[in-house]
Amino acid sequence: MIGILNRLLRRDGATVPSMDGVLRPNALLEKATVLATVAEPDNLVTVGDALVFSSGQGIFRLSSGGLSSLIYDCGAPVTALASAPDSSLAAGITATGIRLFGGAHDGLLLRHIGPRPARGPTALAFGDADTLFVCLGSAHNEAEEWQRDLMEQRSSGSVWKVDLKTRAATCIADGLGFPNGILVRGEGVVVSESWNHRLLRFDGTGGRPRPQIVLEDLPGYPGRLSAAADGGAWLAVFAPRSQLIEFVLRERPYCTRMLREIPKELWIAPSLRSGRSFREPMQGGAVRVHGIFKPWAPTRSYGLAIRLDHDLQPLRSFHSRADGTRHGLVSIQEWRGGMVFASRGDGVLGALSPDGLTLADAAQ
Amino acid sequence: MTPLLELRNITKEYRGVPAIADVSIVLEAGRVHAILGENGAGKSTLTKMMAGAVTPTRGEILLDGQPISLSSPGDALRHGIAMVFQETSLVPSLTVAQNLFLGDEKVFNRLRGLYIAAQQFLQSLNFPVDPTANVSTLGAAQRQMVEIARAVRKNARLIIFDEPTATLTPEEKHHFFELIERLKERNVSIVFISHALEEALAISDRITVLRDGQHVVTDDTAKFDRDIIIRSMVGRTLSSQLYDRHAGRPARAYGRKVLSVQNLSMGRLVRNTSFSVYAGQITGVFGLIGSGRTESFKVVSGVAKRNFFHGGIVRLMGQAVRYRIPRPAVRAGIAYVTEDRKTEGIFETMSIAESIHIGAMAADRGGSWLVSRSKMRELADRWSAALSIRSIDSNARVLELSGGNQQKVVIAKALVQDPRIVIFDEPTRGVDVGAIAEIHEIINKLADQGLAVVVISSYLPEVLNLSDRILVARQGRIVEEFAMDEATEEKIMYAAVH
Repeated sequence: MIGILNRLLRRDGATVPSMDGVLRPNALLEKATVLATVAEPDNLVTVGDALVFSSGQGIFRLSSGGLSSLIYDCGAPVTALASAPDSSLAAGITATGIRLFGGAHDGLLLRHIGPRPARGPTALAFGDADTLFVCLGSAHNEAEEWQRDLMEQRSSGSVWKVDLKTRAATCIADGLGFPNGILVRGEGVVVSESWNHRLLRFDGTGGRPRPQIVLEDLPGYPGRLSAAADGGAWLAVFAPRSQLIEFVLRERPYCTRMLREIPKELWIAPSLRSGRSFREPMQGGAVRVHGIFKPWAPTRSYGLAIRLDHDLQPLRSFHSRADGTRHGLVSIQEWRGGMVFASRGDGVLGALSPDGLTLADAAQ
Repeated sequence: MTPLLELRNITKEYRGVPAIADVSIVLEAGRVHAILGENGAGKSTLTKMMAGAVTPTRGEILLDGQPISLSSPGDALRHGIAMVFQETSLVPSLTVAQNLFLGDEKVFNRLRGLYIAAQQFLQSLNFPVDPTANVSTLGAAQRQMVEIARAVRKNARLIIFDEPTATLTPEEKHHFFELIERLKERNVSIVFISHALEEALAISDRITVLRDGQHVVTDDTAKFDRDIIIRSMVGRTLSSQLYDRHAGRPARAYGRKVLSVQNLSMGRLVRNTSFSVYAGQITGVFGLIGSGRTESFKVVSGVAKRNFFHGGIVRLMGQAVRYRIPRPAVRAGIAYVTEDRKTEGIFETMSIAESIHIGAMAADRGGSWLVSRSKMRELADRWSAALSIRSIDSNARVLELSGGNQQKVVIAKALVQDPRIVIFDEPTRGVDVGAIAEIHEIINKLADQGLAVVVISSYLPEVLNLSDRILVARQGRIVEEFAMDEATEEKIMYAAVH
């Protein structure tokens, strides 16, 4: 009752948790070795010893010297990617569905997952070569329209288990606030729910298992999850939360009008990269002092990678602060003993040792 | 030269038990005399006899070489002896100016004139206190300032301070030391009791050490150092390792986030502050007085209320909580060990067993409403053993314990509640060096057991020694965080001031 009254009266104000303790800001991502500069890199996976990623419509393999070679052209932006133990790939494609490349199901195109159109899933993960887990971020918006989905405060995301042999789909969870990352652990899965800033664990994948909150109240929007070699995991946080955005989210008439009348890049909304246009919100003294970007400024974009332990609790974090150049981390993958991240906001594939050292320093 | 005040073979007995036995001290005009000793050494009793608050059982007091008998503090004041007590004797419902001139009022008082006179007087002492403010609204440091100002105004020749700097910030201490210098120039003698040995070494001319009511040594300050004083005080070698940085230990790992405070606001004292506290480690909180550090945690523990609108959120184990009184906070596992144990921490006239049992009752862990005396004593004995509370038995009244043991009772009262998070506010204020080490050990053990522990302290070596991470508060919000290995006194103080 008091909670309802508080919400009605808006007594608590717009609040966000602080980045402190394990999530205390640093500039470790700035020290990363740049493996390649690519337009909007995303969806890092390993296939054998190769690092594969998506950029726009293509799926690329990272070659030596920072060069990338195109391995598949999907004809539309790739929104999610997963690799199977048999080296086959599953790609989520905008306005198309999920296409499989290689392996026993080569060429398979899933246009629907159960009753839902599979247009642009947000995350994919193989359970085994015949089982694919799919996150559909929203029933209302495409994956690329994530900002709109947040500002409309949708909770229409779902998680599915698909048997690739029979194409039968089982719904694991529905009504989620933009499930945007999935990690298979044992008999269950862990899902990042971006708009509710938390990780959910589903023990078992049959029927509708009850979700358990394993990590919540994150200071940013959690995105893709990937496994770490020691049993832990990596979590990419693709944008920060801020009091201003939380405030705007509560002001529904303002928000609706903003979505209707203002160009998308100028919305007061989280972003993978902000600060590039003088017309953007939050450009004043809150962000810059004497022309210098304050590292602690409340920006709309940020770079944050969180290393989780076996219990999915934060172990350490890697940051690119407001004045940094590695914003919008959408994907992280362990590769050749290091951690590779895709900074979609700044178009960089970077690598760090798990200790936060540059790879060259770690090799010494 | 005739000494200003001389105490000859002074003895004070309570029911035949000597609190002070055969002590002789000579105080010279215009000099600063520090009286040091553990809790229970008899420092307060001795100074109270100088100030007329306690009458000696035997012995002689000489002022300007003439024997005098001081029957009351008022009598002492007439002889030019004033005492500034640990617990201030100001009237909370009156203004600062009214308190300053209390007892000297004319038949017709013009408040405006009183305020102007008080303002001028406070400014001459460099005390930033508003004379029109009600004393009840002042913090401990400002109350202390008013108390000092009142003594100075009475033109006292000897001013006795009991723990004058315990509640002052470093800047305020600096002002206080300057004031002492000015008083010395005016040939005023100062006697002060302090647990901060560095201060005694820095500002006093002579030092007297008492132990168990006995006089141990009096000599010029130049002949003392920290180790000599501690050895004299405790009668054993307690090295300066008490505040040795970390004692070579690594920082404890982060456990689960137990407490998340988000954009908390409370009046002008706490302004949009955010921080987290983790299980299995000690989070140190440092800040100058007025930085909002205590108030933030008082809101967390239900002692104070945040703003009605836009007051922010407190999350305990992920759940948003809003406590209007402490009891639900205690039940939820938040234990707050107050900085002011005498008024907020203990019932002085209750026994140790009753005090600890009250703590258990607050958390609904006291069993049925029928109180079993034997179970109560059993509980008290268990906690007395666990925390080394030294007393005759669990029926001893808290009033009869030394400051260190009183503080342990307050801690036992909190720990008996089986908390998830323990907030220690100035855990070693007014506690002797021997008890400090024991209290530090208790705090460390709690963190090792996996509890979330918060230590709020204005004593930097304590924060540095205990904490795994340090939060710095300034102007109502947490402004900086330091990991254990990177924190230095300079960095913390810079963050607290700038």
